[in-house]
Amino acid sequence: MTVAGPQGAFSQPEQEPDPRQQPDRKPELGSGSATATPRGIFDPQTLSACISCGFCLPACPTYAQTKLENSSPRGRITLMRALEDGRLDPDDPTLQREAGLCLGCRACETVCPAGVKYGELLEQWRDHQWRGRHTPLVAGGLRAGVRVTAALAAGGLVRGAARTTGPADPSRPHIMLGCMERSLYPGISKAVLRLVPDADVPSGQGCCGALHAHNGGSVEGARLAAALGQTMPGTIVSTSGGCAAYLDHQLGHGRVQELSQFLVARWAADPSSKPRLRPIMIDGRIARIGLQDSCQLRNGMGVSAQPRALLREIGDYVELPSAGTCCGGAGTYSMLQPAMSQAVLAPTMVQAQEAGLDYLVSLNVVCQRQLATGVKRSRVPVQVIHLAELLERALGD
Amino acid sequence: MSGLPVSALTPSPTSSSDLTPTAPRLPAGAGRPVPPDILDRLRSIVGADHVLVSDGDVEPYARDATPLFRSRPGCVLLPATTSEVAQVLRLATEHGIPVTPRGAGSNLAAATIPEHGGIVLVLTRMTALKEISGDELLAVVEAGVTTAELADAAAAKGLLYAPDPGSRTVSTVAGNVAMCAGGLRGLKYGVTRNYVLGLEAVLPTGEVIRTGGRLWKDVAGYDLTRLLTGSEGTLAVITEVTVALLPMPAIARTGVAYFPTLAHASRAVAGVIHDGIVPATLEFLDNRCINAVEDFAKLGLDREAGALLLFGDDGTAEAVERSLAIMANTCEREGARGVTMARDIAESEALLTARRCSLPALARLAPITMLEDATVPRTRLAEMVDRIDAIAARHNVVCATFGHAGDGNLHPTIVFDPADGDVRHRAEAAFSDVFDTAIELGGTITGEHGVGAAKRPYLERRLGADQMALLRRLKAAFDPAGILNPGKLGS
Repeated sequence: MTVAGPQGAFSQPEQEPDPRQQPDRKPELGSGSATATPRGIFDPQTLSACISCGFCLPACPTYAQTKLENSSPRGRITLMRALEDGRLDPDDPTLQREAGLCLGCRACETVCPAGVKYGELLEQWRDHQWRGRHTPLVAGGLRAGVRVTAALAAGGLVRGAARTTGPADPSRPHIMLGCMERSLYPGISKAVLRLVPDADVPSGQGCCGALHAHNGGSVEGARLAAALGQTMPGTIVSTSGGCAAYLDHQLGHGRVQELSQFLVARWAADPSSKPRLRPIMIDGRIARIGLQDSCQLRNGMGVSAQPRALLREIGDYVELPSAGTCCGGAGTYSMLQPAMSQAVLAPTMVQAQEAGLDYLVSLNVVCQRQLATGVKRSRVPVQVIHLAELLERALGD
Repeated sequence: MSGLPVSALTPSPTSSSDLTPTAPRLPAGAGRPVPPDILDRLRSIVGADHVLVSDGDVEPYARDATPLFRSRPGCVLLPATTSEVAQVLRLATEHGIPVTPRGAGSNLAAATIPEHGGIVLVLTRMTALKEISGDELLAVVEAGVTTAELADAAAAKGLLYAPDPGSRTVSTVAGNVAMCAGGLRGLKYGVTRNYVLGLEAVLPTGEVIRTGGRLWKDVAGYDLTRLLTGSEGTLAVITEVTVALLPMPAIARTGVAYFPTLAHASRAVAGVIHDGIVPATLEFLDNRCINAVEDFAKLGLDREAGALLLFGDDGTAEAVERSLAIMANTCEREGARGVTMARDIAESEALLTARRCSLPALARLAPITMLEDATVPRTRLAEMVDRIDAIAARHNVVCATFGHAGDGNLHPTIVFDPADGDVRHRAEAAFSDVFDTAIELGGTITGEHGVGAAKRPYLERRLGADQMALLRRLKAAFDPAGILNPGKLGS
């Protein structure tokens, strides 16, 4: 090797950097280095699974908004690795910002050929990032608020959610009341009782813990999930995709079913259990119905066909292009990241209007709140309704 | 390094760096922070919101899709217009600041790693689909439009954008041009370079040039369009691309054949060409790849098969039917255990999508997947496949192979856990042998992924000293200050 060539503008001749010898090119810790000392924030195997191919970029709603690598799943995993490796300060503002800016919708997981469990990484990241004083106020407040089972029960009672029926009967399906749902949308659990007449509504239900796990409190989340599982032995029917997916992960596959999943399976197995569903009519015509998937349900549990099948039975179902994309509700997100939350929601509002929908159906109370706020703000003449309540209308009186 | 004696820069002949005979010529600002006053001027050019400087903000731009390479830039710029790009480059040349252009960062040759710091110039904000013309059979797009967006927009008008790299949903059109991306349709349709009609590009010194244009015939001047295609961001920054489109074929169909070994599948490929068929798709996967892809895509592939050949064609219904029948026959003649046809378009598309996911799906096997793309003449494919197996065995590494069999383009992929002793060195030694073997068989070190930083040590083996010297003179003519992607190709 020689140092040849005109010096001119090249005032700094340097040795050819041999990439495979350069100190900076050591394998990243998160990708499996045997030499450096990890901070122990992440599960090393989960963190090492990503090969940075970038296939997740087009699936990420926040990357679509910013076009910044930082706000893509691959970029965030690079950030997590830098945190784990010690290449970034734990208080680095980008880490803090991106841990919050991620919707946690897990759309990236469905397109990841390497099978990276991004949702788990995000929980581990937020556990670290939102510790102590770094916890966003709203997230901390909600985590504390829904911890108290008695308060939840009182809230539901006041708002008129389905009455509890005492301790759980393991032979019957259990209606899960949901901590937000029972006070915000008490009609949902009542509608479920009409669709699943043999279900009970066990008393003493607490929060499922998903909200904690997604907001930096995964240990407490797991504890709450386990407690809820004990309160309700047997099949739990949830009307909230987020709760269902979290409990499915925590309690083991099969213990929890989301409402549409439960109904489709039950009515297929025993057609006599299926009530007559009549088309929903508006001004003498069949109603046009759109859907907003619950991300946790679609991406975490793989449930997307069932709600569509049910809606096709009761109306003129229209698949919105953004039906499978996060609405920006995302747990506490709409409160923590209002600007991005609205930006992510905007296409759905435009599409709902263009499609001339009568109903926009949600599968999760957080989505419902987000969509309801959205249609009000953008004056879209569409009614946002939970699947359970629309199905109840199809039952007639 | 200016204080080092020259002897320190002249390693012994046994050192691995003797693979590159001449030091890269680097700009003055290489390896130094971008000065604050320059940052201010950059902010005034692209807007403060589009200049990233903090450690956390630039960290994700320290790498691309290539394993084991990482180097943090001094800052990241996201310009929105060609004029902004020109102003940035002029300033960078004036001050000797390295600039590494970047699209989606999906390349596999460490071509967008800012090895010497400086500016990473990201073109993902330039996303205008300017024109799709059915009358002229062409499209004009800005640099940051993704390949899939272009292909979808063309398809909506009944037109085909033929280049089909595996990363099409992610990669940008200008990135495809800069790397001369290949893909799954190479045999019948060629690669990116066959479709680039014209470019708008900014020279490192700030001049905006337009090469080629909207014409299929245009021989005025050197073919700079072709020179910039595959130049890996070392000569100019591509800001707009004019590509040729084709009428969309009436139908496309795909079939799958399973073979006992990859060599059997390779012989079937040779047989297909011998039969006078030039199909759109001839892709193969070995047993490890089949299983990794099946784990992800769950298509019901035969996990026991030694190799899978995906064959397909497009065109008129009769032509496609004839072509697939001949290919199916050839496969059976060459020892295929089972041949099945995709029932419909969705099933065909699922098969192709699964094939595109081969590489990331292999990541399920181990933390590191090192992938190469040695390419040999089609007639030597079976021999190459066998020799790759022997090389992997000799170096005691786990190698999964898939590739564009019809193009002789192989993707031997060594998967390993870096915790496993000296495995990385064994992998590198194995690839070095793979490159030598490919060249010996009349092939090349890279068919479609590019040279970048990853294959730079092997480039001279392929080109020879005279061509390497010419590359450097070309580079100096385009980039007198040596700011563009320094250290790569002709630097």
